[in-house]
Amino acid sequence: MYVVWNQGYINLEPMANNMTNLKRQFEIKARDFVRAGEASIEVQSILKKIGFDADCVRRVAVCAYEAEMNVVMHGGDGMLVLTVEPRKIVLDFKDEGPGIENVELALQEGYSTATSEYREMGFGAGMGLPNIKKNADSLEIHSDKGKGTQLKISITVREVS
Amino acid sequence: MTEPKPLQEPIHYVHVDKKICNGCVLCMKACPTKAIRVKEGREVQIDDAKCIDCGECMRICPRNAISAVMGTNEKEGPVSKDLFNAVSASTALYAQFETGILPNDILLGLKRMGFNYVHDQTYTNEMFNVAIELFIKEHREKDDTFFPLISPICPVVVRLIAHRFPSLLKNIPPLITPREIVARESKQRLVTRYGCREEDIKVVHITPCPSKMICIKEPIFQERSYLDEAVAISSIYETLKKNIQNVDEDIVLHHAGGIGLGWGMSGGEIAGLDLNCLSISGLQETIRYLEKVEMGILSHIDYIEFRTCDVGCLGGPYTVADKYQARHNLRKLIRMFGEEKRVKYEYVKKLYDKGWFHGADPILPTNSPFKRSSLSDISAAIEKQNEVQQILECLPRKECGACGSPDCQTFAEDVVAGKATVDGCILRGSMA
Repeated sequence: MYVVWNQGYINLEPMANNMTNLKRQFEIKARDFVRAGEASIEVQSILKKIGFDADCVRRVAVCAYEAEMNVVMHGGDGMLVLTVEPRKIVLDFKDEGPGIENVELALQEGYSTATSEYREMGFGAGMGLPNIKKNADSLEIHSDKGKGTQLKISITVREVS
Repeated sequence: MTEPKPLQEPIHYVHVDKKICNGCVLCMKACPTKAIRVKEGREVQIDDAKCIDCGECMRICPRNAISAVMGTNEKEGPVSKDLFNAVSASTALYAQFETGILPNDILLGLKRMGFNYVHDQTYTNEMFNVAIELFIKEHREKDDTFFPLISPICPVVVRLIAHRFPSLLKNIPPLITPREIVARESKQRLVTRYGCREEDIKVVHITPCPSKMICIKEPIFQERSYLDEAVAISSIYETLKKNIQNVDEDIVLHHAGGIGLGWGMSGGEIAGLDLNCLSISGLQETIRYLEKVEMGILSHIDYIEFRTCDVGCLGGPYTVADKYQARHNLRKLIRMFGEEKRVKYEYVKKLYDKGWFHGADPILPTNSPFKRSSLSDISAAIEKQNEVQQILECLPRKECGACGSPDCQTFAEDVVAGKATVDGCILRGSMA
């Protein structure tokens, strides 16, 4: 299944090679709740050092954390590739998990497939993907049952009027 | 009594005694904003732009080479005869004395030290609790602000947010803190009572930590502070103690219940809030939870009380009593006065609606990370980060600090910034 969702003011063109950019790769371990969230904190710290504005950093942080937790909880081992361009930040998550059975449903607030164990840990409110959707400018989900999930989140730096 | 010197530059109060410092790396490693470098194995340098005056370096130094120096540290009494003086004390002061000495005795003792006007902050604390409840109710209904809100009380937290978590400035409610309200009201009352000019009044805050002085100099949510000076609890303690003996006046200066008194310890501020709150103390825990707030994990919480000192303000570097003893003293006082607020809700609501608690929009330092960087700045910064990464890949990642930077990452950043050379890493050759 392939779903693209776009706020409207971002083009989904592949990035130009000649543009200044930064790439970092992070491994995410399944069910490792001790280190869960560390990749997101690292992403946040890199963006702050570069000097992105506070609102932009916050939006990326929320997206990164929600997606990272999804991988930790549901996804099996996975990977995050961060690409930073001067006006756009892309988070590319890939995991070897069971895949999302129904992406349309997963995008709805309150829908959750979390086990009771996760709910006891305070997760599973069904806000993961909806929260990403709320904070990202575009979202691509490739997911097939049994073949893992790929999630591409783009956040653009909004110009202040 | 002599007139206190006004606070002067430098704005930071952390000073290193070079005769005692042997150049170990403990303070450098403890610094949460990585403001410290130990160059040439000897000299501790503190970057003023990064220092938030949290006092971690002072606490960790095994030789007591680091101390905070203040304007009136050496003075017997911070009182001048020429001016009208008012004083407000942090509630941590009440916990510094043994059982039997009540807040009212302490306030009377301050009056005897020569202050024209003594204002008890505990009652204002309770009013502030109500103001926070009103603020949260208002904004939960309108759904127009970021949650959880973060307590504006601890100046180190506010500065930590400004430096490391600027996106969370929005979570700090733009309300004036009780210590500032007390100063504002004190001035107003003295003006009415004596017909003096506001400029002739000096309001002194008695503080458990050096960071209060900085927020008097550089307030973030006000154009200027209503407070004029801060004085350490430890510097007036002995004088105050003498003045407390044989107090036989029966003027009542302390009006609040136990809730307003408890603010000096961690959990004390939120004890008066009928909301979903957390209280977090200690610097490392504060950073850990600010990271969580930034990632949006705690948005179901209404309010978080952060205190960077362990146990809260009672653990401040300028306190006299042991922090755990002080906490016990404070708990006894709270039981004595009852765990309740004595302020009237309706009265505070009227003041709140009039804007009594509202401060200005945050006033941000010009060199701060709040402003939006230009495209070329961002591009240059991305290039720099790539360079940092390249250098980092050549480093042994032993995080030893022997180069004079707190860790390999920071060392690589220092190299790119031209503040260090790669040769500074003594392990690099041996690893190759």
